[in-house]
Amino acid sequence: MLKRLLAAPILLCAFRPLFLLAAVSAVFCMAAWLGFLLLGLPLPAVPGGPAVWHAHELLFGFTFAAIAGFVLTAVPEFVDGPAAPRPAVLALVLLWLGGRVAWSASGVIGPWPAAVLNVAPVLVVIALVAPLLWRDPARRHLSILWALLAWLAVTAGFYTDVLRGEPPMRSLHAAIGVVMVLVVIVMSRISMRVVNSALDTLGETAVSYLARPPRRHLAVACIVLFTLADVLAPGAPVAGWLALATAAALFNLQGDWHLGRVLLRRWVLMLYAVYVAMALGYALIGVAVLTDLGSVSGGRHLLAIGALGLSIFVVMNIAGRIHTGRELDTRRWIPAAAGVLLLAAVGRAGWSWWPADGALLLWLAGGGWLLAFGAFIAHYLPLYWQPRPDGGLGCEGVMDSD
Amino acid sequence: MIGIVRQWLVGLPAYLWGGWGAIASLLLLLASWEFASQWLDPLALPDPRTVLATLHGLLTDGNAWSELGVTGRRALSGFALSLGVGSALGMLAGLSMTAAMMARPWVTVLVGTPPIGWLVLAMLWFGASDGTPVFTVFVACFPPIFIGAMQGVRTLDGQLREMAQAFALPPLQRLFDLYLPHVLSYLFPAWITALGVSWKVVVMAELLATADGVGAALAVTRSQLDTAGSLAWIVAVVGSLLAVEYLLLEPVKREVERWRTLA
Repeated sequence: MLKRLLAAPILLCAFRPLFLLAAVSAVFCMAAWLGFLLLGLPLPAVPGGPAVWHAHELLFGFTFAAIAGFVLTAVPEFVDGPAAPRPAVLALVLLWLGGRVAWSASGVIGPWPAAVLNVAPVLVVIALVAPLLWRDPARRHLSILWALLAWLAVTAGFYTDVLRGEPPMRSLHAAIGVVMVLVVIVMSRISMRVVNSALDTLGETAVSYLARPPRRHLAVACIVLFTLADVLAPGAPVAGWLALATAAALFNLQGDWHLGRVLLRRWVLMLYAVYVAMALGYALIGVAVLTDLGSVSGGRHLLAIGALGLSIFVVMNIAGRIHTGRELDTRRWIPAAAGVLLLAAVGRAGWSWWPADGALLLWLAGGGWLLAFGAFIAHYLPLYWQPRPDGGLGCEGVMDSD
Repeated sequence: MIGIVRQWLVGLPAYLWGGWGAIASLLLLLASWEFASQWLDPLALPDPRTVLATLHGLLTDGNAWSELGVTGRRALSGFALSLGVGSALGMLAGLSMTAAMMARPWVTVLVGTPPIGWLVLAMLWFGASDGTPVFTVFVACFPPIFIGAMQGVRTLDGQLREMAQAFALPPLQRLFDLYLPHVLSYLFPAWITALGVSWKVVVMAELLATADGVGAALAVTRSQLDTAGSLAWIVAVVGSLLAVEYLLLEPVKREVERWRTLA
């Protein structure tokens, strides 16, 4: 039975079960949250209340599954190492599922099982990729390891607060910061291939795209500083200035992408939109902290939906497709879903601004999210359930389309 | 010339976008200021928002513009004088080895004399008129511009000059394609340094010698122990310097120095 399960196509590579679970949890958690907010349906009783349940599941559930799926697929490719063994992937999936159940049941069974089952999968992912990243002679991708360790720290920090009976929201805010850092690091790798491949397609040989390290380092440093200030002194003016600095550093990062009409190619534009949403999110937080305008929560949701949600959606559509041995999907549903996600981000940020018009904006935001990730499940479930069409037996894949 | 202006306009959006890096860095500076202000007495270091609010008040009631205008006029007059005289004399000195050798000790004397010393002399010579700050700015800006111009001419590539002669290049073409690009690449950084000096020195001169301008306003805020007001004036001066340098001089400098990356 176990042997047959391990041989199933869904476990062919780590991203298959994990991207699928990420999308399913994105839909499930958002549906439950909308049901709670708009229809008054109950949510599981957890320490910290409904908002903590919502943020926890979308970060430590949905986001972590996507991160794990990506890292376990991309790192072996980056460093030319072996993919994660299937039993380890299966164990990771089971631990992740256990973490979902344990967290939602934590109001009844206590927080300890949830703490163990949410920290353990992070440790498994680190144990699987750390040796590969470390053994790489040039150690060019160690920043991914530091980001994963930061993720471990925020997960452990969250449960430390929960176990001590303190408000745990600050760790969830910090988790958004860690994802933003990871997105910047990962996008610098992906964009080098995506943008240059799009330039090739357009026949533009005069310019080439380069993700300049100094710009990236400045952006990452600003995000880290803001995240620390946000955890240590939330709402303090220092955090406001740092948020504005982060926004400026991210706008600066976008300068790398201004290479003419290549910016309008679909994959390039979608990745670029992630940086736009990220910059605007931090700008909104900064303005809200320093003045009476805007809302910090609106800014955080612009980060969480526009930057985090969209980047995960796009990366799952790139890495999650080419590693099944297929060319990139050129159909229109992907840019349409990305556009809907961006609208959702704007709608949710707008809700923080004008809560009076709440229901409509919330439906728009939640509905957009559900549509995008629902469409992902519909398109990818059959792919992940089947073996590779090219006879490949693992994660390998080539990307030669824009 | 039209070509340079067109290049400048075409490159402007990308250049302006590149300013985000500088803005991020300045915002980090504001964050550090905010952090420091939390630990210090507001009288010693008010937080940036208070200072910016004070500056906003000064700008909206119109006070700041007139004072900045007066200060700007004095700084730019002194700077323009220095730019003309310093560049011309420096280039002349650069043409002759003997003149360059002889001019060096003079420049050392000029650099070595503290601006405050010139200011005292200027007050004796010009009294409380505009002449005092303008002259002080002129003397303070002169040495870097003079040295820049002299170095520019001294380091002209002799072989290129010979080649221009061998090909019998018309004098105008020789001036615009050979001499000016090279000399300007030395002059521009010197002008930018001098512009920074001019703003600093003019405020100092006004503080001690005149009844109007940003320096005089600073003297008033100092006497009233108004730290926020003082910092607001300082921010106004630094802000206008940054604007002139990054919006005007730096893009032109890049355009003038473009040949270096192409060479």
